[in-house]
Amino acid sequence: MSDQHRPGVPFDRDDPAERQLWESLQDMPQPEPPPRMRRRFYDELDRLGRQPRSAQWREWLGLAGPRGFATAIGCVIVGVLVGVLLRNSEVERAELVALQAQVTDLNRNLILDRLENESASKRLLGVLDAAGVAQHDAEITRALLSRAVDDRVYSVRAAAIDAIGPRVSTPAVGQELMGLLEKSQSPIVQLALVDLVLRHGSARQIEELMQLSERGVLHPELQQYVKSAVWRDRT
Amino acid sequence: MQAVTDEQLIQWVADGDASCLGTLFERHHRAVYRYCMQMTRSKAMSEDLVQEVFIRLLRHASSFRAEGTCKAWIFNIARNVTLDQLRKAGTDVHDLGEQGEENAREQLVDHRSSEQVAAGYQNLQLVERALAEIPAAAREVIWLGRFVFDDYEELARALGCTAGTARVRMHRAMEALHSTFLRMNGAPIDV
Repeated sequence: MSDQHRPGVPFDRDDPAERQLWESLQDMPQPEPPPRMRRRFYDELDRLGRQPRSAQWREWLGLAGPRGFATAIGCVIVGVLVGVLLRNSEVERAELVALQAQVTDLNRNLILDRLENESASKRLLGVLDAAGVAQHDAEITRALLSRAVDDRVYSVRAAAIDAIGPRVSTPAVGQELMGLLEKSQSPIVQLALVDLVLRHGSARQIEELMQLSERGVLHPELQQYVKSAVWRDRT
Repeated sequence: MQAVTDEQLIQWVADGDASCLGTLFERHHRAVYRYCMQMTRSKAMSEDLVQEVFIRLLRHASSFRAEGTCKAWIFNIARNVTLDQLRKAGTDVHDLGEQGEENAREQLVDHRSSEQVAAGYQNLQLVERALAEIPAAAREVIWLGRFVFDDYEELARALGCTAGTARVRMHRAMEALHSTFLRMNGAPIDV
């Protein structure tokens, strides 16, 4: 039998006491396994041998018997939880996006409504609210420009010019402003718009303004006004 | 010399003939049981561990690589299973309870003559106690090197290290055993 006492690995220590200890280990009594251990092993081997491959796999993966039932229940619970979590996060994300869109829309309508309101104080509030969003929304920009050039109340007009001023150089506001200037027939409106460009516009916008002036789009008196203002700035 | 080698048997087990595991069991279960008893000092735990070792052999037979002997592989599995079990049970293998000692002694079968018993009984008792007292890592290397393997290459495979490391571990383990014996006996073992 291969598991009977063996001579052991070579002992290459010089100490005689250690060597004697090593030798004496050989005489240590050895425990014998109880006979039931052999029976138990062969019973298990027999049981496993009788199982088809699939059953063996189920057992090894913990999917057989009561343990398997628990594993299956556990898998279902985990699956449902993961599913619910994934679903909830998607639904929440979609709801949040929809909610944000609704709030933005509501806010936009409120601003436009205020800018067109009969009450000057409401229009003033609308101008202040519109200042923050004008550069992202063409319709609000147009409404704000319209307050800046032709509101009948001076304080609203001044507030609108102040609100638009810092944003004139942004492409969205600048484009609207130039479009309005081209369409406008009133010299007073044109003057207000020209002032905005001269005060806050970029070099490119001032160049565009000069071109409009040369093409005769502006009122004749304004053409001279633009020319001298540009000349003054350049010198 | 065995007609069929362990390596051939495990190959047949891997090929689906589970009955060959019976032969491997007959060849090695005593040594595995003794190793487990030495490490756990618990009869019941050792029986469970032997069962687990041979069932693992059946499950993982196809992963046996013929770089070492099947025996070294079996003891490597036995070692892993035993250490896992000890960790799981939270057992401090240095601190063996009285029940464990009794269980261990209950199973001892004395094959020696009455003269040998009379001459070396006290020494043997002390060697046993010293062996039980040294750290589990030292105890296992002494046990496997003294009773299971006869070369360092195979011992190293069972321990999962190189032969050089196994040799160093054996030296340190024997030093630990010797100093523990000295402390208990007050003198070196009779030479």
